[in-house]
Amino acid sequence: MIDELYSVAGSAFAIGNLAWILFGVTLGYLVGALPGLGKGTATAVAIPLTFYLEPLSAIAFLVGISKGSTAGSAVSAILLNTPGEPSSTPTAMAGYPLARAGKAQKALKMGLFASVLGDLFSTVVLILVAQELAEYALGIGPVELTAILAFSMVFIAGLSGRSMIKGLIAGLFGILVSCMGLEIETGSPRLTFGLIELYDGLPLIPVAIGMLALSEMMIQIGQRQRLSDEADLLKGSANPEDQIVTLADWKNCIRPIVRGSLIGTVVGILPGLGASVGSFLSYGAERRASGRGADFEESGAIEGVAAAESADNAVVPASLVPLFAIGIPGSVIAAILIGAFTIQGITPGPLLFLENKDLILGVYVSMLAASVMLLFIGYFGQNMFARIVRISPALIMPIVVFLCCIGAYLQGGGTFGIGVMIVFGIIGFFSKKYDFSFVTFLIGFVIGPSFELSLRQSLGLVTDLPELLDHPVAIVFAVLAVIGVWRLTVLQRKQMAEMAKAETN
Amino acid sequence: MKHVFKGFATAVAMTAAGAIAASAAMADTSWPTKPITMLIGYKAGGGTDTKGRVLSKILARELGQQVNVINRPGGGQAVALESFKSSGTDGNTFFFGAVTGITLNPQINSALKFTNQDYVYAGALTEFQVSMVAPEGRPYNDMAGLIKYAKEKGGIKYASLSPGAKIIMQAIAKQDGIKVDYIPTKGGRGMVQLVLSNQVDFAYSGGIQSRYPGKIKTLAAVSTNRLGNYPDTPTLDELGYKGVAMDAPTVVAFPKGTDAAIVAKMEAALKAASMDPAMKKISEAIKMPIVYLNSKDASALVSNSTAAIADMLVAIDYKKQ
Repeated sequence: MIDELYSVAGSAFAIGNLAWILFGVTLGYLVGALPGLGKGTATAVAIPLTFYLEPLSAIAFLVGISKGSTAGSAVSAILLNTPGEPSSTPTAMAGYPLARAGKAQKALKMGLFASVLGDLFSTVVLILVAQELAEYALGIGPVELTAILAFSMVFIAGLSGRSMIKGLIAGLFGILVSCMGLEIETGSPRLTFGLIELYDGLPLIPVAIGMLALSEMMIQIGQRQRLSDEADLLKGSANPEDQIVTLADWKNCIRPIVRGSLIGTVVGILPGLGASVGSFLSYGAERRASGRGADFEESGAIEGVAAAESADNAVVPASLVPLFAIGIPGSVIAAILIGAFTIQGITPGPLLFLENKDLILGVYVSMLAASVMLLFIGYFGQNMFARIVRISPALIMPIVVFLCCIGAYLQGGGTFGIGVMIVFGIIGFFSKKYDFSFVTFLIGFVIGPSFELSLRQSLGLVTDLPELLDHPVAIVFAVLAVIGVWRLTVLQRKQMAEMAKAETN
Repeated sequence: MKHVFKGFATAVAMTAAGAIAASAAMADTSWPTKPITMLIGYKAGGGTDTKGRVLSKILARELGQQVNVINRPGGGQAVALESFKSSGTDGNTFFFGAVTGITLNPQINSALKFTNQDYVYAGALTEFQVSMVAPEGRPYNDMAGLIKYAKEKGGIKYASLSPGAKIIMQAIAKQDGIKVDYIPTKGGRGMVQLVLSNQVDFAYSGGIQSRYPGKIKTLAAVSTNRLGNYPDTPTLDELGYKGVAMDAPTVVAFPKGTDAAIVAKMEAALKAASMDPAMKKISEAIKMPIVYLNSKDASALVSNSTAAIADMLVAIDYKKQ
């Protein structure tokens, strides 16, 4: 494999190709850093630019954009609490409090390092196992997916904040809202209120921007005075240790990065889960392991940033595993890349490694080059973006709201998207005021449709109970989900007891 | 490879037939005097979008004006078609997409207020290779074998990727008296995953199986005429399923009331596009053969297909949603 990679290094390292990768990573990072614009938007918008490129340059350029924008979305998440896309939400939850505590530079740098490491790890996995793993990925059918999703939801329910009941209400509300749109089998409209725009369900990005960014802006505008007082803090603390990643930070973060890279890679390889599941799972695992609970979001956590970013970035290369080997995309990016491949007359699928082996190897080498470039672009680009924290909140807020509107407009079918964003901004405002977990809501919203579909497919596929024995993977995950519920309930009771004890003292 | 060449032969023959009809209505209009808009009812990056963007460049050259692509995804093109109906008859906005958004969707969904009568059709350019497919390893190679298998097993599992796919199968199941479990899937790729992993017995496909040679076999064509990519595969109609068909060409349409001269000029531009090397290259790449229809033939296809679908819906006692 190494010899083969070496043989194509010549074409991959050609000046023209490197320039396209550099351009892609830079452009992606810039777009990703804008609030509300994520990797999906960045890559989709760039596809027409690749019509006239050589196949290798075209794919390398798009992969560069997707890698850059995935890492770049951490910038707006940490500095403005407005994730470029849902998968950066945990980064905002753990990183924004750090920025408010004057540690923006530290959070940004750790986020970048975690991104690059997760990305690199996942790229290496892609190169080593694409063909071999693909056969296993194919075995992940609806029955397995149902069990995996149920397991994921239980796991994420651990994030639901102080009250399990409020968390459940928020999560189920998310699932309810995700039911909007045409029912998939017969096409009958559900909860559409006669609006054709709702036929494909609520657009994810405007909902996420509304719940996360707009509601946050509303809350902050209500606290304008206090914010002006805090603006000094946002300028960065005087302690130089808060501006850099110290050895102690590395010691704390290496475990979440390794775990996040693994989670992200596995989630990427499984078709249909998506980057959000990866970053939330990794974040939740680190939050549990740290034992700090809600303090993670209150005072911020560098480990949380590292966990979320490493997983988020690991999803992208890993999601190309099922794409390259069997033609099934593991993520939004992979789905968009199919369009780019077909423009070039290349069909992702079983014949790819036979007919276009050199191209695939060239893409591998280009992806490794993109990882390295990401580190440099991110490191120097961040300094530029971090400057926005020196501007007064009174100037930042209108700009953020404006950018929110652009993101919602682009991703939500025009002004309708802005309307959706405003409605969910108001819902988000009240859910924050009354401590309903908006994160659990979003997860319910994101997972809802896949869960419904895979459950209904499973009900059609497994007609007799004994047939379930043909799906050992599903049984394992179902058992894990049950154990998860049990463990979480025990843990929650213990915490409640401790809280009650603390109050009586 | 042989199939592809046969496909092209068909396409060339149809193009020649179309040319005679097209020359009758030679365009005489100053349109377009400013950049025009191509409306696509799917997201950027998909198959229709990819093709539309290549077409937009060729049309820009033919018409002498910029052609901007606008994506208005939603509801299986319904969002785009609804707004398009009232977008003006000045010719400055035209629709490019699969005709099933017009022929099928308004008939199964009472919320949609448009019909095939609300538009005029400048022509058709390509067609989805709508067909019935099965995993390669299955013991049957045609519809008769499949039906026999279904009767032996007492029922079969069918991956149904759209309401249209379900309707077609319901019509077949009714005629043959077989029991079918409908497994819903999301889009062609969800269907492919179920077929490749051998979880379903057969499926409806929009033509995506051409990307999986040796893994998925094609049993029958769902279109009225045989498909360009599968000239040896019989249509459902030939197999005795009378009236069971759903054609899916990609058409170019204007809102009703658009000047006939504008439509004729677009028709001529489409004909030129159908012979353009770039269009041929992309058609070959995405395995969606060029099947050019002139304005008259495309309009006839739309009304015939709409009527055929209406008959099918009556036959299966379909309740409009």
